[in-house]
Amino acid sequence: MAHISGMFLSVVGGAALVLGTAYGWTAREYRSAELDVLTERLVQLESSNAEWSKRAEATAELEAKLTALETELATAVQALEEARRAPVAAVAEPEAQPETIVADAGDPSFGDPARGETVFGQCRSCHQIGQGAEDRIGPHLNGIFGRRAGAHDGFRYSDDMAMMGADGLTWEIETLDAYLENPKALVSRTRMNFAGLKDQQDREDILAYLRQFSASPQNIPEAAPTAQAREVELAPEVLALVGDTDYGEYLASECKTCHQQDGSDQGIPSITQWPTEDFVVAMHAYKRQIRPHPVMQMMASRLSDEEIAALAAYFAQLQ
Amino acid sequence: MKLNRRVFVGTGIAAASALSAPMVQAASHGKPKVVVVGGGAGGATAARYIAKDSAGEIDVTLIEPTRSYYTCFFSNLYLGGFWELENLSHSYGKLASDYGINVVHDWATGVDRDAKTVSLAGGGTVPYDRLILSPGIDFVEGSVPGWDLSAQNAMPHAYKAGSQTELLKAQIMAMPEGGTYVMVAPPNPYRCPPGPYERISMVAHQLKMNNPTAKIIIADPKEKFSKQALFEEGWQKHYSGMVERIGPDFGGGNVTVDPAAMTVNIDGEVVKADVVNVIPAQKAGLICDAAGLTDGNWAPVDGASMVSRLDENIHILGDATNQGDMPKSGYSANSQAKVAAMAVRGALTGSRVFPAKYSNTCWSLIATDDGVKVGAAYEPNEEKIASVSSFVSQTGEDAAMRKATYEESIGWYEGITADMFG
Ligand SMILES: Cc1cc2nc3c(=O)[nH]c(=O)nc-3n(C[C@H](O)[C@H](O)[C@H](O)COP(=O)(O)OP(=O)(O)OC[C@H]3O[C@@H](n4cnc5c(N)ncnc54)[C@H](O)[C@@H]3O)c2cc1C
Repeated sequence: MAHISGMFLSVVGGAALVLGTAYGWTAREYRSAELDVLTERLVQLESSNAEWSKRAEATAELEAKLTALETELATAVQALEEARRAPVAAVAEPEAQPETIVADAGDPSFGDPARGETVFGQCRSCHQIGQGAEDRIGPHLNGIFGRRAGAHDGFRYSDDMAMMGADGLTWEIETLDAYLENPKALVSRTRMNFAGLKDQQDREDILAYLRQFSASPQNIPEAAPTAQAREVELAPEVLALVGDTDYGEYLASECKTCHQQDGSDQGIPSITQWPTEDFVVAMHAYKRQIRPHPVMQMMASRLSDEEIAALAAYFAQLQ
Repeated sequence: MKLNRRVFVGTGIAAASALSAPMVQAASHGKPKVVVVGGGAGGATAARYIAKDSAGEIDVTLIEPTRSYYTCFFSNLYLGGFWELENLSHSYGKLASDYGINVVHDWATGVDRDAKTVSLAGGGTVPYDRLILSPGIDFVEGSVPGWDLSAQNAMPHAYKAGSQTELLKAQIMAMPEGGTYVMVAPPNPYRCPPGPYERISMVAHQLKMNNPTAKIIIADPKEKFSKQALFEEGWQKHYSGMVERIGPDFGGGNVTVDPAAMTVNIDGEVVKADVVNVIPAQKAGLICDAAGLTDGNWAPVDGASMVSRLDENIHILGDATNQGDMPKSGYSANSQAKVAAMAVRGALTGSRVFPAKYSNTCWSLIATDDGVKVGAAYEPNEEKIASVSSFVSQTGEDAAMRKATYEESIGWYEGITADMFG
């Protein structure tokens, strides 16, 4: 729109200039003629602008109504399904009761979005959110819930983030919570240069704030992340383990079937000379299934803390 | 991460392995000798790891008749037009030049287990302290009535890669318009469980591009097969109406062939075909039988070290073995080779020996950028190598994930071939 009217202006302006020259107008005359054209155009633009913002308001109103209707519908459907299931569950699996309660704990007190907005202050230098948000150093965060990691068009992600997305990482309460707690646990070489939010309340509040800007917040489970707690932060003792490089060398022979020692990374990332702590944090994240990727989850699932340390020590010193 | 906060672990393991692996002096003169028969996924890996990790303390001889090893893995992709023939081929040059392995291009014809020598087709014998056999598979005679090795030109198996793979591709490319390709699928157990079905996918891809009215028939003696839901979903999606599988309930297990007439008789119904890909029932490479190391069709081994259950100085790897739950795959053979290499070094030079761990992942390509995978981790117990955890791709995965899986498989191919041949 802006583009078209710009062209229009220059065409009209150009025509006035040509006319002016042809009729031998003085510079002043044709300036004032030009000014008239411009003023008229400005008035036109302003009125169409007003039109547009009216329409935008109407759209927003409709969207809000739609959301409200969707919420009503979802609640109704859920109520119906529960009503349908309830008697069966009661007869067949009475012991399933407590679990239902946990899953149902749509705890409305989960996170305080108002406080979250304040905590989000530290993210704002890189991330915009809300109406008119755009990508900056980091991608804008409208509609982040349910989005595949590294998949927001037009933003240039780190290779690792893109890979995690392809591996199936999707931004849900749980994964966002883990990423906020320790970004490197999920994405080793992420561009997000952020140490992590260690306070659980801070994270809950931020997440409560963020979810207001996703398209259908009523579809996002409200369960507090603690409902499926997976430790992200490693105990200092685990990080402090010094690995046995000989043992690491044997264990590493399994890794080298896919990860090439010379650092080639076609289709499969290189792990040669990976810093020890990053390696340990990443492997534990696979082991705890915080990171996606079935092969890596399987490999990590049977490694003890000592074995992970041994591998990390071996790969860190590998030439 | 300060040094003074660190705790050293692993001393326990070190002490245990020092006790459990007493130094064994070589029976023969000089350095201990390891002979490896078969330079494939198992043998090449074992030879390389022993030579590399013993740093000259062990003499390694590799006996392998062919000068270029053609991988079976990715040979289906060659049929589908996704991979070049040259890229399947690997030479033994680096194993000789960079690792000091004595590569002998000859057939092993027998093993004298008392004298601890291997005899060669070209004459002469090679002595060993430890022998490793990784000869792959041979075919069970008479498993597909009408077919034997003399018919492999008319009806190729392409289940050992190289000229057979090239032949099968040439036949597929020469099929008349609307022609028929029949695969006679093997019974369990056989090399590469998803292999026949990945092949069907690749042949279908090739035909869809060049001969879209052609038909594919699979006569299959098995009720179920590896990654079945994924393959069937893929065939429906990419090659709808092209692939027909006749399972055992419709007589898919009751098959005879006539190579001269190019017909396949499936439970009484005679099909005239343009290409017949017969994948017979399989057994351990013949040298295992010649050495008296088989029980039935396969060579039983102990999963703790891949040592033969019939001879403590011989380790057997890969497809030829009966070890338990691991599928017969290149990945498995490579994984087993590392355990055996460690055990052999431990026995001959007293190096540290750690508990065996195994794993496997098999990737398959269904269509362009549509890759899937299945895998598991394994640990040995008294009885067998047992699966401890597993995974498989899901139906309905999105295109980005399938593409990433395919790219990952290429990474794996580069990785494993570098791990085998240096
Ligand atoms: C179509 C197809 C697709 C496949 N795809 C995959 C895949 O994607 N991933 C995967 O992991 N696996 C795959 N496989 C399986 C894989 O190729 C085998 O499981 C693997 O090669 C087994 O390794 P091996 O060492 O037991 O035998 P091989 O690799 O077959 O090696 C045996 C070697 O021993 C030599 N030999 C035999 N007898 C003698 C003798 N008497 N003296 C000297 N040398 C001898 C042979 O020449 C051969 O080079 C596939 C197989 C097929 C057929």
